Amino acid sequence: MPVVELVGVTKAYEEKIAVSNLSLSIDAGQMFGLLGPNGAGKTSSIRMMMGITIPDSGRINLFGKPFERGSLDRVGYLPEERGLYKKMRVLEQLVFFGQLHGLPAEESRRRATDWAKRLEISDSLAKKTEELSKGMQQKIQFISTLMHDPGLIVMDEPFSGLDPVNAALMEKTLLELKDQGKAILFSTHRMDQVEKLCDSICLINKGKAVLAGKVREIKGTYERNRVIVEFEGSASFLNSDEIAEAKNFSGHAEIKLKPQGDAQKLLHEAAAVAKIYRFELVEPSLEEIFIETVGGKADA
Amino acid sequence: MRNILLIARREYMEQIRGRAFKISTVALPLLIAALLSFSHYMARKANTGKHIAIVADDAVLANEVRLQMLDDKDAQYTVDVTAPATAEERATWQEKVRAKAIDGVLAIDSSSPEKVSATYTSLSVADVSENGGLQSALNRAVINERMIGKGITPAEADAMLAKVSIDALQLDKDGKIGKSNGGATVIKATLMLILLSIPIMLYGLDMARAIVEEKTSRIFEVMLAVAKPGDLLAGKLLGVGGVGLTQIAVWTIGATVFMGSALATSLLTGDIAIHFSWMEGIFFPIYFVLGFALFSSIFSGLAATCETSQDLQKFMWVAIVPLYTAMGFLPVMIKDPNSVWAVAATLFPLTSPYVMISRMGMAAVPLWQVAVSVILLVLTTWGTLWFSSRLYRVGILMYGKRATLPEIVRWLRYS
Repeated sequence: MPVVELVGVTKAYEEKIAVSNLSLSIDAGQMFGLLGPNGAGKTSSIRMMMGITIPDSGRINLFGKPFERGSLDRVGYLPEERGLYKKMRVLEQLVFFGQLHGLPAEESRRRATDWAKRLEISDSLAKKTEELSKGMQQKIQFISTLMHDPGLIVMDEPFSGLDPVNAALMEKTLLELKDQGKAILFSTHRMDQVEKLCDSICLINKGKAVLAGKVREIKGTYERNRVIVEFEGSASFLNSDEIAEAKNFSGHAEIKLKPQGDAQKLLHEAAAVAKIYRFELVEPSLEEIFIETVGGKADA
Repeated sequence: MRNILLIARREYMEQIRGRAFKISTVALPLLIAALLSFSHYMARKANTGKHIAIVADDAVLANEVRLQMLDDKDAQYTVDVTAPATAEERATWQEKVRAKAIDGVLAIDSSSPEKVSATYTSLSVADVSENGGLQSALNRAVINERMIGKGITPAEADAMLAKVSIDALQLDKDGKIGKSNGGATVIKATLMLILLSIPIMLYGLDMARAIVEEKTSRIFEVMLAVAKPGDLLAGKLLGVGGVGLTQIAVWTIGATVFMGSALATSLLTGDIAIHFSWMEGIFFPIYFVLGFALFSSIFSGLAATCETSQDLQKFMWVAIVPLYTAMGFLPVMIKDPNSVWAVAATLFPLTSPYVMISRMGMAAVPLWQVAVSVILLVLTTWGTLWFSSRLYRVGILMYGKRATLPEIVRWLRYS
């Protein structure tokens, strides 16, 4: 039984169709990436899942039942634009959000304190939110999303504003939650994170799903016509007739072969002018698939 | 309901802990008290201890006017008489007025005994109350002189001219008669208007500003995932309204404690002896709550269409026009609390929360008028809440720019 399911959902504002006939489903223990260029309809889709707006047609099921507000107590939502009460003290704020999700005040306090310890921000609990850095506020928002132990976690750009250390801490936390059987949906532009974390994706453009499925399967459908070369010496082999496109990052090259391009021939050419440390034939990255799929079609 | 109460509690606690609440709860009544005391003191001081010269051809009449003026113990006049006065002497006194050596010159012309006239020259011709006091003294002196001329003895004339005071009595709706004090009534009416309008405006606008801020900080996105827009608005209204009621309760307790003190007994006498009826006590919080709900719901709906505090300022007239209108009705009401305009102002929902309590202090307002006023206010508040919650539901999620009127109409259609 999917934790969340969108079936043929459509939402329009005046003449603009924000989401058109979108269907997707996320199971427990699955990390799902909702991708798309700016204005593609990601936030509109998430807002409908959260009951903030209502679809014009189609249906949304949460935890196997048609959408009802009561189910939102089991959902954690981290919107793209962070929202915290600036004048409130952190602990007080977390207790408030916990209570809004149905937790008793004492239990809310206990969980907030535990999460603060886990995310290394115990010292901030007594401070006012406005006294904290953007990254710290992001962690507070993260806790307020997770402290009521939701079965479905929806995060819009969860890593924005975080330094690499804290981003890694959040990634680790999300993977632990996934292992605990939580369904996690996140929307991001960071394809490296999607590739690293997500089991499945749905790529939407102009409100429509243009690519959906398991990350492995999607990548498997693309030909292995990319070559990663690590080398020392002349880069003249990058002008080979076998190559359609190449990026050279001083000693590290990412190459796209022509449709009939011969990788073996290229290896010979490269070895003739440079010392080769790595020559790997790979599938296109998610970023390349993303650009290829929506390239030139995005609104913004 | 759980969420409404949680949101209300959060709003209440945040406001109560805020500096604005503490300052306005203590500073506002102190400021009002200081202003009232100062104006009362200045009004008394302005009309006492004046130095006036009387110039006339008739020395007897001039001296009689002087006696009548000195008889007014409150005014504490110093009076010089020059009678009969030459043109040079008159000019000298005028010069003294110009040099501020004296306050004014009363010139009496009794060349025709049947038609005595007088002029009063001072640097402040607008001093109406001064002229009134002088006119009374002059009239009494002329009448006194005429009576003596008709053969009435001075003692008989004094007895006939003995001052008659009028006690104003006020009949309440139960037929009970109480002593009325005009000065206190005016002060009380103004005080009630201030005490009702300032918290309603202050908290209503504060709530509107908070909505704009929360919209800008995108906190609504988080809140709407756990609460319905209607619950959010209801929680806010309940919380902020509770703060206003708390403030009024603090003022009431403070005033009660103060009234029982020896200091109040010595200060609140004469013109500023203010008393409240049970009806005013009951309806004050009712009109506050309804007035607050009405204006706050208007402001909330408008705030949801704004992007910045500057956008919100463009709607400030919505708050100011009803308040100024109510203030404009106050003098009309003081003159005749049962006039058509006074009744209209206390029935019209945008002014009734401000002026009904003031009118109750001036006259016995028929119960049916109170009932109609409350019903109209409740219905208008309900309609406004319905309208505003629809605007709020869509507006808080619309970012980018201040909404135009056609956009607002479209939002109302969506919601």
